[in-house]
Amino acid sequence: MTSSATLTRTAPRPPAELRTARPASTLTRSSGIGLGIAMTWFSLLVLIPLCAVVITASAGGWTAFWTTVTNEQTAYAIRLTVSQAALVTLVNVFMGTLIAWVLVRDRFWGKAFLEILIDIPFALPTIVAGLVLLSLYGRDNPLGADVANMPSSVFLAFLFVTLPFVVRTVQPVLQELDRDVEEAAASLGASRFTTFRRVVLPSLVPAITAGAALSFARGVSEYGSLVLLSGNLPFSTEVTSVRILGSIENDNVAAAASTATVLLVISLSVIVLLDVLQRKVGRRA
Amino acid sequence: MSIEIKGVTKRFGDFVALDDVNVSIPTGQLTALLGPSGGGKSTLLRVIAGLETADTGHIEIEGVDATRLSPQKRNVGFVFQHYAAFKHMTVAKNVAFGLEIRKRPKDEITDRVHELLQLVHLEQFAHRLPAQLSGGQRQRMALARALAVEPSVLLLDEPFGALDAKVRKELRDWLRRLHDEVHVTTVFVTHDQEEALEVSDEIVVINEGRVEQVGTPDQLYDEPANDFVMSFLGEVTALDGVAIRPHDIEVSTAPLQDRALEGTVARVLRIGFEVRLTVLTLDGEEVHVQLTRTYAHSLGVREGSTVWLTAAAGATTRPVPVAVPA
Repeated sequence: MTSSATLTRTAPRPPAELRTARPASTLTRSSGIGLGIAMTWFSLLVLIPLCAVVITASAGGWTAFWTTVTNEQTAYAIRLTVSQAALVTLVNVFMGTLIAWVLVRDRFWGKAFLEILIDIPFALPTIVAGLVLLSLYGRDNPLGADVANMPSSVFLAFLFVTLPFVVRTVQPVLQELDRDVEEAAASLGASRFTTFRRVVLPSLVPAITAGAALSFARGVSEYGSLVLLSGNLPFSTEVTSVRILGSIENDNVAAAASTATVLLVISLSVIVLLDVLQRKVGRRA
Repeated sequence: MSIEIKGVTKRFGDFVALDDVNVSIPTGQLTALLGPSGGGKSTLLRVIAGLETADTGHIEIEGVDATRLSPQKRNVGFVFQHYAAFKHMTVAKNVAFGLEIRKRPKDEITDRVHELLQLVHLEQFAHRLPAQLSGGQRQRMALARALAVEPSVLLLDEPFGALDAKVRKELRDWLRRLHDEVHVTTVFVTHDQEEALEVSDEIVVINEGRVEQVGTPDQLYDEPANDFVMSFLGEVTALDGVAIRPHDIEVSTAPLQDRALEGTVARVLRIGFEVRLTVLTLDGEEVHVQLTRTYAHSLGVREGSTVWLTAAAGATTRPVPVAVPA
C-alpha cells in the first residue's frame, strides 16, 4: 500500500451499477382517497380543536391575551411547568438511553420482569400514579423523603410518568443495530467510548429525540399524577394544567384558552427544535 | 509466516467451534479458509482479529504474540459479510474513520481517502451515504476502509456472500487483481469451493473445527488428503470401488480396454456446455460421468446406449468409496 497512486492506474475497474431516480409523487387514486380520509380524521381530532382554542384565546384581542399570560401567577405556573419538563426530559435522555442499553445488551435474572415494570407508568391511570407517589413521598411516608407541597414534587411526578418514553423509543433501534458495525469500529482502532460516541450514538439520536419530544410534551400536559402530591400551591407548585382548570372553574374560558395557547406554542417549538437538532447531529458525525 | 495459529481451541457452550487448530498463513498471499457452514472458519477469522478470544492456544501476527491483544491493537483490517457500513457517515468519512482515530493530520487523511477511493473506483461516490450504494459498492467501500489503516493483515469474512451471483463473480476477479497490486497478507472465509479455487494462492480446508488440509488449489484438487477434502472440492462418484471425479471417467462405445466397465446410460442431462450421464453398470452400480457437449455428441450417447467406462490416466482416485454429494 505504499504507492497506491500508481496502483490506481492499473487496478481493475469493477462493473458500473445503476440506480433509478425517484418520482416526485407516488399518489394513485386509492392512496389519494386514503390521504383524504387521514387528513379529515386528523382535522376533526386535532386541527379544528386546536384552532378553536387559539380563536377563543384571541377573542379578547392581543391586550387581553397578553394580560392573561403575563399575570404573575400564570407566568409562574408556565415557567415552573416548562422548566421542570425540560429538566425531566434531560434526565430521561441519559437515563432512558442507559436503561434501554442495559435491557438490550445485558442478560440478567429478572430482566423480563423489569421489561414489564418499565411500562407501568404507561399503563397506570395517572391519578393512581399520583396516589402511589403520595404514599411513597408524601407526609409520614416509609422512605422518609417528604417532598409534598414542594416544587420538587412536580419534578418527581413528571419523572415518573415520562420514564418509558426514551426507553421505549431507543430500545427497538438499539436491538436492530448491527454488532458488526461496532466490531468494525473496534478493529479500526476505536475505543469502546469512541465507538459509542461516533458510531452507536448517531444511530440512536433520532430515537432519543423522538423520546425526548414525547417526554417533554407529556410533562407539560401532566395533571393527574401531581395534583395530590404537589398541593397545587400558587407561586410554588401550581403547574399550568392546574392553572387552566382554575381559570375554567372561575368561568374564565378565555384565560384558560390563552394559557393553553402558550403551552401549545411552547410544545410545538420544542418539537421543531428537537427535529432540527436531530438532523444536525445526525449529519455531523 | 505472517500469521501463526498454535493449538487454538474455542468452545461455545458444548459446541466445539475450533479444536486444537494449528495453521501458518504466509506473508503477502491470498489464503482462503474453506469449509462448510458451521465448520469453524469464521470463528478462526474472528479469533485472528481479536473479535473472539480463544479458550486455549496462541495467535502470532507478524511475529508479535497477539493472543491477549485487543482488536484495537492488532492492526488488522476486517471486512464483514454484511458490509458493516457506518450508515450515518458518507463514503469518504467511512474510509477516513480509522485514520481519524489515529489522529493523522487532516491533509494526509484527505489525500489518503482520495487514493483509496480511486483504488476501489468509488471516487465519484465520496459524498454519498452507504444507503445510496449498491451491495457491491458498499463492500468495496468496506474494503477501502479496512485498507486505510495499512493493516498488517486483511481479513474478509464471506465478503461476497450477500451479493448476487454475477456481482459476486466480478468482485472476486477484481479482488484477485487488487491483491496482485496491493500485496497485503489476506485471509478470506468462504464456503464456495469454486471461489476458493479461483481466487486464492493457498487454501486451508476446515471442517468440524479441525484443519483437514492445507495446500495450493491444485494440490487440494489433485491430491486430496482425505475423502472430505475430495468431496468438498468437487463432485465425486464411485467407479469400480474407487472414488473418482465424474470428469475423470472416459467413455467409449466399444470395449477398448480389458478393465473397462460395461453399463447402460440411464439418464442424459444437458447443462450448457456440459453433459451429465448417469450410467448403470452390470453390477447395478450408479456412476455419474461428465462430458463436454461436443464430445458427447461425437460419441452419440443417448438414454439406453451401452457404454464402457474407464478411469482416465492420471485421474485423482481414492480407494474408499465416499457418499456422493447430492
